[in-house]
Amino acid sequence: MMRREDIVKFVVPTIVIIVVILSIVILGGLASSNPDGFEWAFFEFANVSEPESGFEGMWAFLGEGPMVELFTGVIGVLLVFVLGLILFKATARKE
Amino acid sequence: MHVPDGVLPLWLQILMLIVSGAFLIFSLIMINKKLDERVVPYIGVLAAVIFAAQFVNFPVPPYSSGHLIGATLLAMMVGPWVGIIIIALVLFIQALYGDGGLLMYGLNLFNMGVFSCLFAWTLGVLIFKTARKKLSEKSALLLSAAITSYIVTVAAAFVLGLELMTEPAFGFTALVAITSIHSIIAIGEAILTVVILEYFVRAKPTLIALLKGSKTRDAADVPIKPLSIDSVQEG
Repeated sequence: MMRREDIVKFVVPTIVIIVVILSIVILGGLASSNPDGFEWAFFEFANVSEPESGFEGMWAFLGEGPMVELFTGVIGVLLVFVLGLILFKATARKE
Repeated sequence: MHVPDGVLPLWLQILMLIVSGAFLIFSLIMINKKLDERVVPYIGVLAAVIFAAQFVNFPVPPYSSGHLIGATLLAMMVGPWVGIIIIALVLFIQALYGDGGLLMYGLNLFNMGVFSCLFAWTLGVLIFKTARKKLSEKSALLLSAAITSYIVTVAAAFVLGLELMTEPAFGFTALVAITSIHSIIAIGEAILTVVILEYFVRAKPTLIALLKGSKTRDAADVPIKPLSIDSVQEG
């Protein structure tokens, strides 16, 4: 397993930087709310009707807003990090 | 580029789930053979970076927006196999978040993961090796990342456009529209790829598969020999 020094010097600071940047972008309203490339190309430019989705996402019950977006974003970052660790640890070549 | 459920025919969704599933299994086999356990925490960090970068959209004038895909960044840093698994993980969480359909998971994974990572690796290595003759290794890496990420993003959008043509409602206009808009989004992809790669070049260059002395170089190996006159003659 990697050295504790590497975790302190690289892994933890990078995760903190990600969360700080995410917070600034979301709470500062810097992220665009325009439709993304796919949505724009189809549902607006090509005038295709958007299908009704049966699943709105696991956080739909929280509603909308910057704080909800920040909360779900940070949870997602941590979730992907932890799941990545578990998955790659289980599959990587053992020394 | 996250396609929601209900847009494409069921047969295509099932086909893409099978194709992407096969590539996922192959990627896991490759990782099991080649990925060193000691670099796992770095790869976890990289997965978190990709999720965060895909979470926020940047504006694309005048009416649209885009976000990083990250396939080129991953392919150049940790190779296509680890890249495919990271994209699979990120897309899975996003599908649970309601971004990209659950049934469309296979198709989204193919476009943004399998196709993009393998194409990015092939093209990126080619450009990197060419640029390295004239530039320093790090400059060649950043230049190849910028060019590759632009081309891969447009190519992935084109592939998506072709897939969408299986539905009669989507015609050639839609293919042109999605490719055109992604030719602008790809500029943002190239900028973000270079900025994030630059951070890792400064913070942890040994993680980058294309650079000498990398800890992830083994995991990046693609077991496909280029077809040469010698191999044809041997056959």
